[in-house]
Amino acid sequence: MRTPKPGIEVVQTLCRMCDDHCGINVHLDGGSIVDIDGYAAHPWNKGRICVKGRAAIDMVYAPDRILKPMKKTEKGWQEIDLAQALDEIAGKLRAIMEKDGDRAVGIWKGEAIGFAQQEDLARRFCHALGTPNYFSNDSECYVGRYIGYSLVMGALPVPDYANSDCIVLWGANPPYAHPNMTRAIMEARQKGAKLIVIDPRLSAIARRADYYLPLKPGTDGVLALGIIKLLIENNWYDKDFVEQFSIGFEKLARYTRQLTFEFVADETGISRELLEKVATMIARRAPRVVNYAGNGLEHHENGVNNVRAVACLDGLLGSLDHQGGNLLPEGAGLRNLTLYDEIPLQHLGPIGADKYPVLYDFRQECHTMTAMDTILSGEPYPLRAMIITAANPAMTNPNSRKVVKALEHLDLLVVRDLFMTETAALADYFLPAASFLERSELHEHRIYQIINLTRKILSYPSCQDEYQFWHDLAHRLGAGDYFPWKNETELNRWLLEPTGISLETLKAHPGGYRYGPIRYGKWREKPLATPSQKFEFVSAYLKGKGYPELPEYRSPAYLADRDEKYPYTLITGARKLLYYHSRNRNFPRFRKAVPGPEIEIHPSDAEELGIASGEPVRVTSKIGSLDIPASVVETSEIVPGFFQITHGWKEANVNLITPDAANDPISGFPLLKAIPVRIEKL
Amino acid sequence: MKIVSMDPEKCVGCRNCEYACSFIHSDDFDRKEARIRVSVFPNERVCLPLTCVHCSEPFCMEVCPSGAIEKDDVTGAITIDPNRCVGCKMCILACPFGHIYFNAREQVSQKCDLCSGEPNCVKFCISGALQFIEIEEAYQSNRDQFVTKLKTMLEKKSFEGEAK
Repeated sequence: MRTPKPGIEVVQTLCRMCDDHCGINVHLDGGSIVDIDGYAAHPWNKGRICVKGRAAIDMVYAPDRILKPMKKTEKGWQEIDLAQALDEIAGKLRAIMEKDGDRAVGIWKGEAIGFAQQEDLARRFCHALGTPNYFSNDSECYVGRYIGYSLVMGALPVPDYANSDCIVLWGANPPYAHPNMTRAIMEARQKGAKLIVIDPRLSAIARRADYYLPLKPGTDGVLALGIIKLLIENNWYDKDFVEQFSIGFEKLARYTRQLTFEFVADETGISRELLEKVATMIARRAPRVVNYAGNGLEHHENGVNNVRAVACLDGLLGSLDHQGGNLLPEGAGLRNLTLYDEIPLQHLGPIGADKYPVLYDFRQECHTMTAMDTILSGEPYPLRAMIITAANPAMTNPNSRKVVKALEHLDLLVVRDLFMTETAALADYFLPAASFLERSELHEHRIYQIINLTRKILSYPSCQDEYQFWHDLAHRLGAGDYFPWKNETELNRWLLEPTGISLETLKAHPGGYRYGPIRYGKWREKPLATPSQKFEFVSAYLKGKGYPELPEYRSPAYLADRDEKYPYTLITGARKLLYYHSRNRNFPRFRKAVPGPEIEIHPSDAEELGIASGEPVRVTSKIGSLDIPASVVETSEIVPGFFQITHGWKEANVNLITPDAANDPISGFPLLKAIPVRIEKL
Repeated sequence: MKIVSMDPEKCVGCRNCEYACSFIHSDDFDRKEARIRVSVFPNERVCLPLTCVHCSEPFCMEVCPSGAIEKDDVTGAITIDPNRCVGCKMCILACPFGHIYFNAREQVSQKCDLCSGEPNCVKFCISGALQFIEIEEAYQSNRDQFVTKLKTMLEKKSFEGEAK
């Protein structure tokens, strides 16, 4: 930490400019933030942060930040008193629920300002209203992996990079998505660990890989099955674990036996020779192997099964809950804010739960893409009002044109955010939200088993914190009993109570308070949270729902059933350093650094199409067309025939051409990373 | 004496250091303002973050006609006093590493000043490729890395022999 200048106060909290939760020092001059840097005593980031963290200053004090509640009238947006706005919203909600039932109201949690309680408060509010319709960005991010891993081992594990001898990254680019994993991985490499990166794009992390496997998108599952085949054929697997703690190994072995290496190579584009080298490298270092699956695996028609195939490796390598492997997380034992056990909502017909029952069973998550159809059609029942807190589906959900149409169709749309986003612009009411620096919430960091209390550093009178908003609205709707705490601090005290840890203790530990020792091999004493209580190479649960019991590989449609009208394949959503989904585009300094969207093109495709960097191209999918400048990358940076556009740019919103109706049948996740397209020079 | 050490085995070319340097010196996230520059060669998979090495006998200081370049005896930092710099660019030509830049707006030369002993490039280096460490420590880590590399090379060889 820089030696503070006289008169500068330095306080610690966690950053929430992305989902990495780094410890930060906030430098204050007379209550105003003048600088932000990394807090050295936090074990996750050890004093280092990325530039997004420092740019929280740009966010909090942004000239276009909206600090007053607003109501859309015939004359446009008009400022409105907060209490008045909440009264009116409550009145409109009541009228809608009286006419069409409680489930005509949906609640939607976004990623922009969240810590853990943001989600749970929104879910609790659903219970307070009696609506099953909780939506979030999670029906297109994170949950595909959560479901895949939970099916196999009952939890989404956390990677123990620090003690690992071999790290395998599947469709993940930590430098831009989870910056601090980068340092942990590089420190492990310095001690001799190997790094294998599997990605159609040569990402930042792939630059440091011992083996880089540029596979075709959506073929990770068959690559994992190829590795499994080699592990079994060569007897390179943990027989004790397999015999005592797993089910379905024989079926998996039979299934991989009939898969040929030629098929694996044809599907993935990775040679048998490279596959063998990688399998050998992994086997040699088992059980201290981390296999980490990123968001790149989820956005395919075979997403969950690809993740399951990767998850199976942990059982074969003995790396499940082994030091240097993938650890089963243990929480601090906070009270649960949600009420699904007390008040089941499933009988009320959560939207999408019939089509994607696994998504609902595992996450009590409704399907946002189905919600758009429901809003527009009124089928199977009317969905007429939505409260969205810090989400921007008009930019980030697939088929944006339909999303905008659906949100416009609502009788009531309330958006809480810091800025007038593309989604907020469609709202009837805009309520200014409190940024992460204006709230105090609890956060568990399960890799280190520490818990942090974030610190409220400043406040604006009309920018409510998450708790106060749901509290005030619930009280107006006669459901105040669900939100009995005076404020977020009292709520935090209640959440913490069973842990025996006090708020005062947490305040005294800005680097996080260790709530328990890191333990390995917990499955020896405690059964896994799967139906069989064992590691499931096959899932009877999935079979019961009509899905394959094995993590079977199905060739993605773009390979197996290519439509000649769309000869190329578009990947979307690769992360970039300065931007977090659709956010940060309004910071002038960031805009200057990275001014706009582009489509990444391989030099050989650029030559074929006659395109040079900077020239505009038209990308057409079955959904629509998009004009965007080209960026011809270097030959190794993307697999030829594949193109990439990062989401979140209003100047060229790639979700205008992403399909909302081509989904993974298990998770319901949209197809965002292998979209058949046509490309033309303009 | 501490130096900014650079480990190309850790650098991923993310450019956080360039942006952080620009922020602290020009209140902006403009890579052109950065005193550290990362060269990324994707096809060769090489990333090289390079900045002023603060020479013991700096050519830039020797050649400067206005005495604007000074050496801090305690930290070893070679710094340019913008009030004394006449903008002649001799230092830029003299530096064999190319780590002095010309600020056209202010008409002065600019270079790494080690941020008064807490280099921002290091604080914002998320991979750990950049470290601000005592020079002896930098040697030590090179030696350790070399030993580790040799060890793993030999390990791999014997195993691949076994496997096939």
